[in-house]
Amino acid sequence: MAAQPKPIPAEYPSYLKGDPIGWLNTIDHKRVAVLYGVSALLFMVLGGIEALLIRIQLFEPNNKFLSAHAYNQVFTMHGTTMIFLVVMPLLLGAAANFIVPLQIGARDVAFPRINALSFWIFLSGAAFLHMGWFWHHGGLPDAGWFGYANLTERQYTPGMAIDFWDIGLLILGISTVLTGLNFFTTIVTMRAPGMTYMRMPMFVWSILITSILILLAFPPLTVGLIFLFMDRFFGTHYYQAVAGATPILWQHLFWLFGHPEVYIMALPAFGMISELLPTFSRKPLFGYPMMVYSVILIAFLSYGVWGHHMFATGMGPVADATFAITSMLIAIPTGIKIFSWIATVWGGSLRMTTAFYFALGFIIEFTIGGLSGIMHASVPIDLQQTDSYFVVAHFHYVLFGGVMFAILGSFYYWWPKVTGRMLNEKLGKLQFWLTVIGFNGTFFPMHFLGTWGMPRRIYTYGAGMGWTFWNQFETVSAFILGLAFLIMFINLLTSLFNGEIAPADPWDGRTLEWSMPSPPPAFNFVTIPEVHARDAFWARKYGSTGSRASQAPAVAGDPPNTEAAEHIHMPEPSFFPIVLAGGLLLCGLGMVVAWWRLIMAGGAIIFLSIIGMAFQYPTFGQKTHETEAASGGGGEDLRKVGVWAFIGSESVFFATLIATFMVYKSRNLGGPGANVLEIPLTSFSTFILLMSSLLMVLALAATQRGDRVWQRVWLCGTVIFGLIFLGDQAYEFTSLYGHGLGFTTDLFSQCFFTLVGFHGAHVAIGVIWLSVLLVASFMDRLPKSRALSVELAGLYWHFVDIVWVVIFTLVYLMQKVKGA
Amino acid sequence: MTAEAAIHEHFEEHVHPGASVYVTVAAFLVVLTAMEITVFYVSALASVMIPLLIILSVAKFALVAMFYMHLRYDSYVLTSIFMFALAIAALLLIALLLLFAYLSHYLWFMVPLARILLPGH
Ligand code: HEM
Ligand SMILES: [Cu+2]
Repeated sequence: MAAQPKPIPAEYPSYLKGDPIGWLNTIDHKRVAVLYGVSALLFMVLGGIEALLIRIQLFEPNNKFLSAHAYNQVFTMHGTTMIFLVVMPLLLGAAANFIVPLQIGARDVAFPRINALSFWIFLSGAAFLHMGWFWHHGGLPDAGWFGYANLTERQYTPGMAIDFWDIGLLILGISTVLTGLNFFTTIVTMRAPGMTYMRMPMFVWSILITSILILLAFPPLTVGLIFLFMDRFFGTHYYQAVAGATPILWQHLFWLFGHPEVYIMALPAFGMISELLPTFSRKPLFGYPMMVYSVILIAFLSYGVWGHHMFATGMGPVADATFAITSMLIAIPTGIKIFSWIATVWGGSLRMTTAFYFALGFIIEFTIGGLSGIMHASVPIDLQQTDSYFVVAHFHYVLFGGVMFAILGSFYYWWPKVTGRMLNEKLGKLQFWLTVIGFNGTFFPMHFLGTWGMPRRIYTYGAGMGWTFWNQFETVSAFILGLAFLIMFINLLTSLFNGEIAPADPWDGRTLEWSMPSPPPAFNFVTIPEVHARDAFWARKYGSTGSRASQAPAVAGDPPNTEAAEHIHMPEPSFFPIVLAGGLLLCGLGMVVAWWRLIMAGGAIIFLSIIGMAFQYPTFGQKTHETEAASGGGGEDLRKVGVWAFIGSESVFFATLIATFMVYKSRNLGGPGANVLEIPLTSFSTFILLMSSLLMVLALAATQRGDRVWQRVWLCGTVIFGLIFLGDQAYEFTSLYGHGLGFTTDLFSQCFFTLVGFHGAHVAIGVIWLSVLLVASFMDRLPKSRALSVELAGLYWHFVDIVWVVIFTLVYLMQKVKGA
Repeated sequence: MTAEAAIHEHFEEHVHPGASVYVTVAAFLVVLTAMEITVFYVSALASVMIPLLIILSVAKFALVAMFYMHLRYDSYVLTSIFMFALAIAALLLIALLLLFAYLSHYLWFMVPLARILLPGH
């Protein structure tokens, strides 16, 4: 450890102090992070037990330890749990949530209440996935984490397990998108003065890009899950060849999400490694700008490679070639990163801590996984490897050898900041070596087994296959890996009670989180720091050009400043997030058991808590900042940035619906098709909706002038026009129904009703939103200073309007255009 | 000047277009919609219907986004967010259409490349 100044006296109580109820209504990003971390660790135990069950079953040929059905449940829940309930919450919910605001010099995330909401929704989604345990006809989901159609259809998997999986993932998706929205807005608008984009720590960069990936990659999954829901509950045929549809659509939608998803998990891990290596090499990150560009490039490319999961479906040579090329291209920025990491370590003055061990382990193990990835990016090779244990080896090298190693390293790195205690390094090193042995022993032989033809997802195998030895070897190794985790849990627990007290800056850190006490006070910074260089805290300690450790650190923490601390205004805690998440749980439950009263009750709770949360906002709609530190976002209010990011995500949602409509329209078997749509009626609807947008901007202009009368008139007009539009739509739907075109009549009708219906639902939400504003206006609670509230509602309203512009053209006016 | 006042000042700098601008835009929107409907009904235009309709709806889309959604007056940050999302959304749409053999004859230029890369096919 470098020369340390005396630890920061605890002038302010740490964020951990306070009564236990405070954990239920907390909106402090650090507490929310701890909640995420603790839950994810519990799920890690669960997912780990599931993994060991898999390995026990495969220990010997023809094993009867688990039935085929139980095995399917175990491997499905292992994958789903590890990805959605362990890795993502640890990376985003826990690590990013705790660290990002500290690293950018902010007091909290942009939307603290929504942050808490994300956690509680996450928890209810996680509970939901496991709900089948308690149900007579339930059982756990058993169709794989990728839930391939049409295995997931009701005919092939009756019972409620898939329903719980489907709706559970939808709920988790809401939580993740809210998190993405929050981090995106936080990083864009709340960086401390002087923290330009090119001065942001690499971890922050990776979270920024990850948030964009989340916002733009989750919608296809959401749409896919909604289609599945409709197939199972309403009898549509989105994934069944009977009606001209195809199960391949699910694979496209799932992997459109699925591949970006692997980078949603990989990029934060890259970011962690980019923090750990410089700190323990005491050198700046090598090639910082190239690192930034690589992350951006990886994220962008990751949208264009999903087809490499589908080579075996016969997409045709053109598509195969395209996806092979893009997949191989991704190796270039990835390679740049690996070389930059090596160059960062090269020639550094290394401190061989456990965290550093894991970071070095990451580089090696991740590279092995990247190499096997490039192998099956080649179509002919993939046709041999796909659905074999070779693929299982690949993704465990990237996800465990890569992401999990980064997470474990980060535990040792950031644990002192989070808890104020050090972890035991001896146990840490032991854990590391056991992890390396156990991990490689478990997964490396899978390359052989896969090459010899052992398929994945089989519950047992014959004795004559020649797979027995390596399977036994893997099972033994898996238990070594389990032991490593046991040691980690022991280490974590003993540290909490007996760990050495952590100083503010135990690693001679480079970024701002090390400038504050461990654990930090609730409001983080006494005074918002000013940033003059990359590696802001290092520069403060040694000067930006200062060579490492040659000088004694000048500053190691914020000087206590009691006067300033008294002026810090933190938003009030809130119970609405937990209540809202409970409502969502009821709603989902109501859907699965088809009990509409439960759905209504849940819906009412959700509605009321949203209203509560909106009005609890201390400056409801006012143009003031909760944070003094808003330097980014082009000076725009953070709520506006948030709404635009949300609109961006919604654009992808509608694009997916529209794409499905167009594809399936041309595959419709018989039926009248789009020609039945009436242009005069919809032209009128279009006119109404466009004019409602005019009224909306006039309402905004009136509010900005402080003109309350016209504010009410125009708002009222907008609501009425919205209602007319909805009335038109209801009329249109009933008349189509009268012509024999019901929701499930054919492929065209189901896609049409889904797309146009979802747009209608958006209009309805807009009408409700505007009505709430109208009520506020009549209560004289919508003065000029709250014009932003009207503006935000307006943005959403206009967005719904332009979606209609697209739908009107593509669905109605181009009704005669045939595809293919 | 406090930071808050500075931010406030900044917001006030934003131009708020007057009602006349909004009404003019609305008039354009109505005219464009009328043109769209005309294109739909006039059979002489059938051969150029697709490009015409796309141009017209893009124009409407842009008008609403620029004026009603204030992108023209607000920070470029907001425009970038939206444009990037739209780009991804459009690419996704086009890719799915192509993958489902919709309009796939437009991909003729990929065929020689595919022959080189995938000699077996
Ligand atoms: C050089 C970069 C990479 C390439 C070229 C690549 C390529 C591939 C390909 C072609 C497959 C499909 C194999 C098959 O099913 O036949 C695959 C599967 C997979 N990859 Fe990668 N990959 C790369 C990096 C990653 C990373 C960084 C992660 C996660 C952190 C990852 C996670 C996965 C997962 C989870 C699967 C299996 C999905 C499933 O079928 O359940 N890959 N990869
Ligand atoms: Cu992939």
